[in-house]
Amino acid sequence: MKHRSLFTAFLSMAFAALMLAGCANQMEPAQKAIADIEAAITAAGPDASQYIPDELQAVTSQLADLKAKFDQKDYKGVLAAAPALLTQAQGLAGAASSARQAAEAARAAALEALNAEWTTLSGTLPAAVAAIESRVNILSKSKKLPANLDAATFESVQAGLADSKALWDQATAAQASGNIEGAVTTARQVKEKTDAALAALGMTAG
Amino acid sequence: MEEKKSNPGIPAWGTPAVDTTTREAAATGENPYTQWYEVKKGDTLWKIAKEHYGDGSLYMDIFNANQDTLSDPDKIQVGQKLRIP
Repeated sequence: MKHRSLFTAFLSMAFAALMLAGCANQMEPAQKAIADIEAAITAAGPDASQYIPDELQAVTSQLADLKAKFDQKDYKGVLAAAPALLTQAQGLAGAASSARQAAEAARAAALEALNAEWTTLSGTLPAAVAAIESRVNILSKSKKLPANLDAATFESVQAGLADSKALWDQATAAQASGNIEGAVTTARQVKEKTDAALAALGMTAG
Repeated sequence: MEEKKSNPGIPAWGTPAVDTTTREAAATGENPYTQWYEVKKGDTLWKIAKEHYGDGSLYMDIFNANQDTLSDPDKIQVGQKLRIP
């Protein structure tokens, strides 16, 4: 009976030793798997957080789960989930690069569109302002306004003309300083005002 | 291009336009926002100024803006296109 009890204890200890050895064997690969995933995330660089934040968040969230498993000594679980996550993490760099290129292309296209719009606006608005100013100067000398123009509307046109000239100065200054977006935004305001003035004065393009 | 002579007894800006061949205004280098007016029978610069400015006495502004085609504010022709500055 005593021999049997000793034998059972020996078996239990041997089993426990084997289990510990097994765990120890899986700990290092699990640690390396996590390190590889972290390295892949790092390789994706800041582009990942800037251009594909959702994908990056998904990977880092799963990595946190893996680390929790590791802390719980569930190395087997870590090793089971790591390959898929590593593949996902390794894809981040390429996805971030593609997203950055797409964003840069979109920015270039937007800039080109802004430059084209500026070319159009800068080619027409000074002429519109000049035509309105000429008419306003003449009407200012008139003893009586024409039938289709009341005094309040004329005052509004005069104020709009002053605003348009000031805004146009701002737009050209913005364009000269390289702020094409600001230049176009301001020039659009000038266009709204000049269109309104031309309509109020009954002036149609020749 | 035929022009009817104005009546010397009528003020220059008061002579009505008469039917003549339309003379096209030169478009090159024009401000695209320039307003144009096509002269009708019976028009005078005074009448055109009154219509556009509310004050016929401002007819010289129209004349001055059209000196490339007008040599005399009295001589405007039906169909002629005038800048309205």
